[in-house]
Amino acid sequence: MKKIYLACLVLLFATSCKDDFVDVAPPFSINSESFFESEEDYHLALVGAYDLLQATFVNVLMGEIASDNVNAGGESPTDVIGWQQVDRMIHTSVNSNIRDLWNYNFAGVQRASWILENEDRIDFEGKNQIIAEARFLRAYFNFELLKWFGPIPIKPQGQFQLGDELSIPRSPVEEVYQYITSELLDAIENLSVSSVQTGRVNQMTARALLGKVYLYWERFPEAADQLNQVINSGQYHLYGTQGNERYEDLFEFLAENGPESVFEIQYTGVQGAGFDCLQCSEGNVMVGFSGIRGYVGPVFESGFGFGLPRESIFNAFTEGDLRRDVSILDIEAWAAETGASFTIGNQDPVTGHTGYYNRKYLPRINNNQPDANLTQPNNNRAIRYADVLLMAAEALNRGGLNDELARTYVNQIRNRAGLSDTQASGADLFEVIKNERKLEFVGEGHRFFDLVRWGIAEDFIEGFVSPKNNLFPIPFEEIVFSQGNWSQNPGY
Amino acid sequence: MLRYLLFLFFVLPPFLLFSQEKSISGLIIDASTQEPLSFANVLIKGTQIGTIADLDGNFTLERVPEDGILVVSYLGYVRKEVEIGDEDFYTIRLQSDAQMLADVVIIGYGRESRRNVTGAVSRLDGETIERLDPPNVAQALQGTVSGVLVTQQGGSPGSESNIRIRGISTNGNNAPLIIVDGFQFEGGLNSINPQDIESMTILKDAQAAIYGAAASNGVILITTKSGARNQDAQFTYQTYFGVQETSRKLPLLNATEYALLVNEKYANAGLESPISQVTGLGRGTDWQNEVFSRAPMMSHNLSVRGGSETTAYSISGSILDQEGIVGGSKSSFDRKTASISLESDLRDNLNVNARLFYFSTRNKSLNSFGLGSVLFNALNIAPTIDKGVDDLTGEINLGNEVVNPLTQIRNTYNDSRTNRLSGTVQLKYDYARNLDIQARMGFNTALTQNREFIPVFNYGPGKVFNRLEDNFVSLAKINDNDYTFDVFNTYRNIFNDRHDVIFTVGMTVFQQKGEGLFGNSTGVPANSWDFADLSVATGSGDNRGSASYAYDVRRLSYFGRLQYVLDDRYLMTAILRRDASTRFGPNNRVGYFPAVSLGWVLSEESFFPNPDYLDFFKFRGSYGVMGNDRIPDFLYLSLLTGQATYVSGDDNSLINGIAIGPLSNPNVKWEESRKLDVGFDIRFRNNKFNFVIDYYINNTKNLLVSDIPISGIFGVSAPGSSSPTINAGSVRNQGFEFEFLYQESLREDLNFNLGFNFATIKNKVTAIEGRDVLEGGQFGVGQLAPSRMEVGQPIGYFYGYKTAGIFQNMDEVNAHASQIALGAPAQPGDIRYLDINGDGVIDENDRVNLGDPIPDLTFGFNLGVNYKNWDFAGFLFGSVGNDIVRNFERDQPNVNQMSYRLNRWTGEGTSNDVPRATVSPTTNNVFSDFFVEDGSFVRIQSLSLGYNFQRSLLDRIGFNQLRVYAKVDNVYTFTKYSGFDPTASTGVPIGGGIDFGFYPIPRVYMLGVNAQF
Repeated sequence: MKKIYLACLVLLFATSCKDDFVDVAPPFSINSESFFESEEDYHLALVGAYDLLQATFVNVLMGEIASDNVNAGGESPTDVIGWQQVDRMIHTSVNSNIRDLWNYNFAGVQRASWILENEDRIDFEGKNQIIAEARFLRAYFNFELLKWFGPIPIKPQGQFQLGDELSIPRSPVEEVYQYITSELLDAIENLSVSSVQTGRVNQMTARALLGKVYLYWERFPEAADQLNQVINSGQYHLYGTQGNERYEDLFEFLAENGPESVFEIQYTGVQGAGFDCLQCSEGNVMVGFSGIRGYVGPVFESGFGFGLPRESIFNAFTEGDLRRDVSILDIEAWAAETGASFTIGNQDPVTGHTGYYNRKYLPRINNNQPDANLTQPNNNRAIRYADVLLMAAEALNRGGLNDELARTYVNQIRNRAGLSDTQASGADLFEVIKNERKLEFVGEGHRFFDLVRWGIAEDFIEGFVSPKNNLFPIPFEEIVFSQGNWSQNPGY
Repeated sequence: MLRYLLFLFFVLPPFLLFSQEKSISGLIIDASTQEPLSFANVLIKGTQIGTIADLDGNFTLERVPEDGILVVSYLGYVRKEVEIGDEDFYTIRLQSDAQMLADVVIIGYGRESRRNVTGAVSRLDGETIERLDPPNVAQALQGTVSGVLVTQQGGSPGSESNIRIRGISTNGNNAPLIIVDGFQFEGGLNSINPQDIESMTILKDAQAAIYGAAASNGVILITTKSGARNQDAQFTYQTYFGVQETSRKLPLLNATEYALLVNEKYANAGLESPISQVTGLGRGTDWQNEVFSRAPMMSHNLSVRGGSETTAYSISGSILDQEGIVGGSKSSFDRKTASISLESDLRDNLNVNARLFYFSTRNKSLNSFGLGSVLFNALNIAPTIDKGVDDLTGEINLGNEVVNPLTQIRNTYNDSRTNRLSGTVQLKYDYARNLDIQARMGFNTALTQNREFIPVFNYGPGKVFNRLEDNFVSLAKINDNDYTFDVFNTYRNIFNDRHDVIFTVGMTVFQQKGEGLFGNSTGVPANSWDFADLSVATGSGDNRGSASYAYDVRRLSYFGRLQYVLDDRYLMTAILRRDASTRFGPNNRVGYFPAVSLGWVLSEESFFPNPDYLDFFKFRGSYGVMGNDRIPDFLYLSLLTGQATYVSGDDNSLINGIAIGPLSNPNVKWEESRKLDVGFDIRFRNNKFNFVIDYYINNTKNLLVSDIPISGIFGVSAPGSSSPTINAGSVRNQGFEFEFLYQESLREDLNFNLGFNFATIKNKVTAIEGRDVLEGGQFGVGQLAPSRMEVGQPIGYFYGYKTAGIFQNMDEVNAHASQIALGAPAQPGDIRYLDINGDGVIDENDRVNLGDPIPDLTFGFNLGVNYKNWDFAGFLFGSVGNDIVRNFERDQPNVNQMSYRLNRWTGEGTSNDVPRATVSPTTNNVFSDFFVEDGSFVRIQSLSLGYNFQRSLLDRIGFNQLRVYAKVDNVYTFTKYSGFDPTASTGVPIGGGIDFGFYPIPRVYMLGVNAQF
C-alpha cells in the first residue's frame, strides 16, 4: 500500500494549490489606487500635466498656417496633408492634424483633472499651490480647445470616464467661458506671485491668461483689470529695454525665461524622440518643422520648412521696424550673405516656398539628440509681456475705458521696435492695435484667432468662409465615438 | 469545490484492490485474419511473470494474480492489455499496426488511437517535416494541413511565422498554443530544430478544450524524437547547403523614364522641371539589383538514438547558418541546438522521461518593413543617383525619409542573441491496476541580449536617419522564465469486453516570470561597433539612460476528461477544465471550459452495407467552449506607467513625474470560443484512399480587443498612455475542411502518395459592444483608418472609396459630384469616386467595403513518388479571395515609382486606370479600390529529388541509409498582386492585409545529404 500513499501524497500536494496562487500584484508597479498618498505624489502628477504643454506645438504651428501670415510649406503640396488643407481652408473633419490637436489638449485636460479629482485626499503645506497650478493648466488646455472647436465637453469634477462621450454634451461657448474664468479666478487665489521654479506658472501667468480669456469673451473691463495687474506687478518688462539686453536676442536661447516671459513652455534637446510619438518629444517639434529645408550654413540647423511667411507679411513692416528681421529670415539674402545653402521643397504657388522663414522659431545650432528635427530646445513664448500690453491696450480701447493708457502700452511696443509713438485714439487706435498685433506676433500662432474674434478673417484669409471657418471641425472619429451625442460644427 | 471532488476521484479507486493467484492459458490471433500469431510476448503487467507464445500462438502462465493484466505485444501489432477475470482461457485478438495506420494521436495529457479520436485533429509526421526541412518548422504546416494558414513575417533570416488555425477568431493574439512534449513552449518556433521533431498534432476543435483558457486559437502539440528500445545506436547525419535569391523584383522606372515622369509631374502643376538634363541618363542605377544578392545558407544535423531493454536515449545537435538576400552578413540568422532525451523504466511500474533542449540563436537584422526599411529606400530612391553617393546633399530632393539603401546597410550594426534552455522531466507511475499517475515539470529559461549601435553619419540635409552630433549604443538583457507543472491521473479499463473507459483528471500550474534591463549611451569611442559598449561609452547625464521591467503571470488549472468507447464503435469524450489566471481581475478570474465530442464508427455496424472497398467510416461531432487569455498583463489595474517628463527652466534638465499609463478595464474578462465541428473519416481500398471531411462553426464572444480606438477626451494620446482592452464583440468563423490522401504501390519499386486538402473560411462579425464599428490599420498619411470591424462584415474588412475610372475632361468633372471634401478639387486625369449615398458630394460617407484580407479558400497539394532508388516530392499551396492593400508607394513627388505609372492619364482617352502625374495636391491617394488588389496566389513551395544508394553498396561501407538530394524552396508564385509577396501581412485582425513594403521570401536552391549508420 506504500505506493498508494505516495500517490495520495502527490495528489494532496497538487490539490493544495489554491486560487490565491494567481492573486499577485504586478512586480514593481505603482497602481493608481495607492497614489496621492504623499506630497511627493502630487508633485509627480503635476509634472505629468505640465508635460502635455509640450504637445501644444501643434496649436502654434497649425494656428499660424491657418492665418494669412504663412504658407504651409513642407516638402510638397501634399506633405502633412492636414496642414496643407488648413492653409487652403479646405480642411474637413477628416484631418489627422486637427485630431492631434484635439487629442493632445484633451490629454492635458485629463492629466490636470487627475490631480484635481484627488485634491482632498491628503493635506500638506503647499498643496494649494499645486492644485492651483493644475487648475491653471486645465484652464489653459480648455481655452485652447475653446479657441479651436468652440463648444467642448467639460467635466469640472474630474477625469472623463468611459461612457462620458455618450452623455456629456458639448457645453455652449458661454458656459465654457464661465467655467474657464472661474477656474482661473480660483487658481489666482492660491498661486504664488512669482514662480516657485522657473517655467512654472504663477499668479501673474494666471491673470494674463484670464485677461486673454476675458478679451476673447469681450468682457473688456474684466480683461483690462487682470492685465493691468500683471503690468503693474512690475515683474516683467519688454526685453531689450533695460540693461544690456538686445532686442534681437528675444527669440534666442539667451532670452529664454527672461523678463518678457509671462508664460513660457519649456523644451530641451537632451532626450531623443521619434515620429511615432511626436507628443512624447521633450523638444519643440514646431521648431524642426519650421527649419530651413536642406540647410547647410551658420547659426541655424535644417528642418522641414513648414509655416513659411508670405511676402505680404514681410512687406507689411514699415521701414526701420526692427521686428521684421527678428521675425522673418529672407533666406536668399541670408544665403548670399553667409554662403549658406538650402533646398526648396513645396513649390506650389498657394502653399509652397516663399523665400522666407519664421526666424523666431528656426532651429539654432545646438547638440540636440536625434531625431534632431523633433528635439529642438527652443522654448515656446506662449504669453509674452508684449502680448499682455497689447491685450490690455485693446481691452482699454474697445471697452472705452482709457485710450490714453492704451496708447502708452502700444507705444512701449512701437518704441522697442524702433518706431515712433502713435497718437491715435478711438477706432483708429484699435486699427493701430490690430496692426501692431499682426507685426508683433507673426510666427507665434495668434493671428488667426485675432482675425476671427475681430470678425474680419474673411477679409484676410483666402478661402475662409464665415461663420463656418470661425471654428475647426470636430474630428470625424469623435463624432463617430460619441454616437450622435456631439454634433459637427456648422458648415462641416 | 471541484478541487475536492477531483481529490476524491484520485484517491478512492486504489483502495478497492486485493489479490489472489491462479493459472491461465490462451491463444493469440490476428484480429482481422484470425490467423494465430507465433511467438508473441505475454507479460503480467507490473510483474516479472511472462512467457512467449508458441508457433501456434498458444501460451500458458502459472501463478498469475487474479486481478492482473495480461500485456500482449507482437511486432507490427498494437499492444493489447487484457484483464484477467474468472476465465482460465483467453483468446487475444491483436490489431495490426498497419490497420491502425500506425496512428496514435497525442491529444494533450494522453493519447488516443486515431481510430477513436472524436475531434478534428490533424497530424503532420516527421517524414513530411524531413522532406520539407524548412529553417522554421512552422513553414512545414503551410499547405500540408487543412485549415491551418501560415504566413511568414518576412523573408529576412530568422523571421517568425504567423499561424492561424481556422481563421481569425480574436482581435488579440491569434497564435495557437504550442506544447512541446507536454510543456507550454513560449520561445517561437524558429528556435526549434525541425529535425528533432517526430510529429506535430493540431487540435482544431473542441478537442483542445483540455487546454481550456489557452486553447481558443487551437493547439499545436509537438512531439520530439526519442530513441527506440532494444535498438543499437543509430547515427543520423543530415546536411544541406543552399543558395538563396529574391523571388521577385518590382518593375520600377529606369533613370530616363523616371526623369521624364518627374518633369511631367512638375509641368502639369505649372512648375519648373527639376531635372534639366534627361538625355544620356540611360537606365541609371537599378537599386534593387544593388541591394539584393545571392546569399548562402547551410545546415548540419547529427543525432544518435537507441536503447536497451528498459532504456531509450536520443542525443542530437544541429547548426543552421543563414544570411539574408538583402545586406548579406548584416542580416543573418545562426541557430545552434542540442538536445538530449532519456527514457527509462526505473522499476516495472515507474518510468522516467527526461528531455533537455538547448537553443542558441544569433540574429542580425536590417530595418525590413515599411517606411525607413532598406527595400523601401531601394524602391523610392531616384535611379539617377549613383550608388556610391552616401550623402545626398545636392541630389534631387527625395524627402527626409529616403536615403541611400547601401549606405543604410553599411551603417546598420546590431546583434541579438538568445540562449534558451528548455526541458521536461516526466514521471509515470503505474501505482495500481488500471491506474497511473504522471507528474511532469517542463520549463523554459531564456536570456536574450541585444546590442545596437548607430554611428555618427550624415545621409544628407534633414534626413531622419542622421546622427550628426553623437553616436549611440543601446544594450538590452532580457530574462524570460516559465514552468509548467502537471499532475494527472489516468484510469483505463475495459469492462465486459465492450466498455473501454479512459478517465483522466489532473491539474496544471503555469507561471511566467522575467525581467528586462536596458541601457544606452552616446559617445562610443572611434565611432566604431568594436567599442559599442556602455563600459567605454562616454555619454553622461541625459546622454546615458537605463530602464527595466518585470512581470509575473500565472495560471492554475484543473481538468478532467472521460473517453469512452462502446463496442468499438460508439465513441465519446467529455472534458471539463477550470482555469484561474492573473490576467483577469478578481471578479472574472476563473473560467470553466466544458466540451463534449461523440463519434460513431458506422463501418462496424452490421446494418451498414459494408462493401469490400470500404475499410472505415466514422462520423463524429464535437462542441465545446475554450478561452483566450493572451492579452497584456494586469489590464484590470490602472498602472502609473505613463510618461511624465517636463523641463526645468533653470537648467534645461529633465524633470520626471508620474502619469497614468494605458487605461484600465476592471471588468475585462475571458474571451470565449464556442466551437462546433462535425466530420467524417473515411478510408477505402485497403486504406489507400483516406478522406477527412469537416464542417465547423466557431463563435467567439467577448472578443478581447486591445488598444481599442476611443475618444481623445480620455487622454489616451498622452505619452505612455493607450486605450484600454475591452471585451468588444463576437465573431463567427465557419467553413469546410477537406483532406484527401491516396497512397499506392504500383509495383514493388514504384509507389506514390498524393495529398490534397482545402479549407473554406467565412468570417463574420456578429456583435459589437456599445458601438457601431471598430477601426484599425493605417493607410497613407493622415487618412482615416482603412480597416474596420462591423456587424455583418468580415473582421478587418477594407473600407474606402469606390472608383469609377478617370475623369477624361472638365465636362465629366463638372457632371460628377464634387470631390473637394476629399482634400482637393478634381481635375481631368483624376480618379472619379462613386457617390454612394447620392448626395451630390463625395465625402467620408461614401466609403464602402473594398474587400477583406481573409481568404475564402486555402488549399494545399502534395505529391511524393518513389521509383527504384529515386524519390521525388512536391508541395504546393495557395489561397483564393484574399485582398491586399498596396501601401508601399510613397506619396512624394520625386521618389521613384512602379512602372505601371507610365500608363498614366495624359489627355482625354489615354487612360482610364492610372491617374495623371502631378505634384499638385490631388485626391488620387485617398484610400480607394485603386490600392486594393486581389492577393490570391498559388505557390510551388518545394520540389525535391533524391537518390538512395543501394543497400548492397551501403552494407559495404557500414551505412544503413544514404540519400543525396536536390531541392528548391519557394519555387514560384502565381499571383496577380503587384507587390513583392501576396502573403505580406502583419496578421493583425483589424488592419492586416496591408502591405507596407515586405521583405520577399527567398527562393532557395539546396543540395543535401542524409545518412544513417
